[in-house]
Amino acid sequence: MENLISQERVIALPSARKEDWREAIPRILIKAKPGLVELDCRDWKLSCRDLKKIISFFEKAGLKINLIRSNVVQTLVSASALGHQTVLRLGEQSKSSSYEENNNSNITRKSSLLFHEGTLRAGEHLEADGDVLLVGDVNPGAKISSGGNVMVWGRLRGSAHAGKFGNQNAKIVALQLRPLQLRIANEIARGPEEKPQEGLAEEAIIESGQIIIQPAKTNPLP
Amino acid sequence: MSTNTRIILICSGKGGVGKTTLTANLGIALARTGVRTAVLDADFGLRNLDLLLGLENRIVYTAQEVLEESCRLDQALVKHKQEPNLALLPAGNPRMLEWLKPDDMQRIVSMLSDQFDYVLIDCPAGVEDGFKNAVSASKEAIVVTNPEVSAVRDADRVIGLLNTNGINPVQLVLNRVRPKMIASQEMLSVDDVTDILALPLLGLVLEDEQVIVSTNRGVPLTLSGINSPAARCYSNIASRLQGEEVPLIDPAKEGSGMRDKFRRLMQTKIF
Repeated sequence: MENLISQERVIALPSARKEDWREAIPRILIKAKPGLVELDCRDWKLSCRDLKKIISFFEKAGLKINLIRSNVVQTLVSASALGHQTVLRLGEQSKSSSYEENNNSNITRKSSLLFHEGTLRAGEHLEADGDVLLVGDVNPGAKISSGGNVMVWGRLRGSAHAGKFGNQNAKIVALQLRPLQLRIANEIARGPEEKPQEGLAEEAIIESGQIIIQPAKTNPLP
Repeated sequence: MSTNTRIILICSGKGGVGKTTLTANLGIALARTGVRTAVLDADFGLRNLDLLLGLENRIVYTAQEVLEESCRLDQALVKHKQEPNLALLPAGNPRMLEWLKPDDMQRIVSMLSDQFDYVLIDCPAGVEDGFKNAVSASKEAIVVTNPEVSAVRDADRVIGLLNTNGINPVQLVLNRVRPKMIASQEMLSVDDVTDILALPLLGLVLEDEQVIVSTNRGVPLTLSGINSPAARCYSNIASRLQGEEVPLIDPAKEGSGMRDKFRRLMQTKIF
């Protein structure tokens, strides 16, 4: 049994820019030995239907998927809808290890930035190790969390967690900041009750041990 | 499989917001315009589309027998007496939940789409297997919600799932709108809801006591010929679904008295 588990491997689809996964899969699966595998979908945006197809190919080859990685959020939402464990993968150029090295000090510009376009709806959760920039809204019931800063180019009405590994200097910026709950590092705050002023981008930071909200600074990355 | 058939899922996430009522009324309203319409009850656990249409006592076979191939599709279809363009494919017994797979659902729907122009699927509440089966067979969707925080939250979740399943277009129907309560800011306004859900609004349905009466009688409002506010709303939705441009009702302009409401509705030209 132990042998089987230690044999767990990662099978990656080709990058979306290079080759279609539909063509690549037969070739990939011929080489694969049966057992438990992780599936890395890279930059493919896959629907539930696509994923089901891929999973059935894998099953025919005797492969059981225990984890799905991807750097596209839609794919992860599809995967978790199918009941799979998922991990968000950072961009090819930035390794998560390089981020951990400067985790103790301030987040620097070198830290990886995850960019996501589209609204997060109730029940969806966007997670990243570094900074995250979302173009769209975070609806009530949705969650966005990151090891670095959370930036929302839209309305933040769900929950947000910045600096989830303990970075007290992380901040949360949004065009309209009306969250249900805010977390920075280990601090938790409820969102403001009153409606925010229109047309005023705001940010949440930790000041003397408390989360405060103030008009956003021009440079979002400290 | 005919490609022109519109296969529309009617779903909401939350229960009790009016999926089945909308399915029944929309089915009748579409059939009245002359298109061949099928309504499929995909709520196998708690079926009651047959009740609302007043067809409960005429069911002989169900979708279950069709899938088991112990009867033909046209034997199971229950034609509506007054509206022959409308047919119901009833849900089988609740045990179907245990074995029904998305493939089965797709088989039924593809059979229906050979014979009909519109297939309306009444989706069960929730986002579990029953929902997934229904989604797998649909092309487009109508999300029904009420102007309530919990219904909107569930609708939002459902819309996210519809998007990942490639359902397009997804349109919104806001049901049980009470103009008075919106005016006094006790109820979410239409803008509040569309602001969060960010979907094209297919229609509003005003709160109407006649809906309860018609449900109990098993005669859908759109059929009974009563000039009720909700019946108008349902007919408008059917027209918009077929591409006609019908202006939306403005809840702020809805008079408080019933007579006032009627007069205004009589004046609106619909066809």
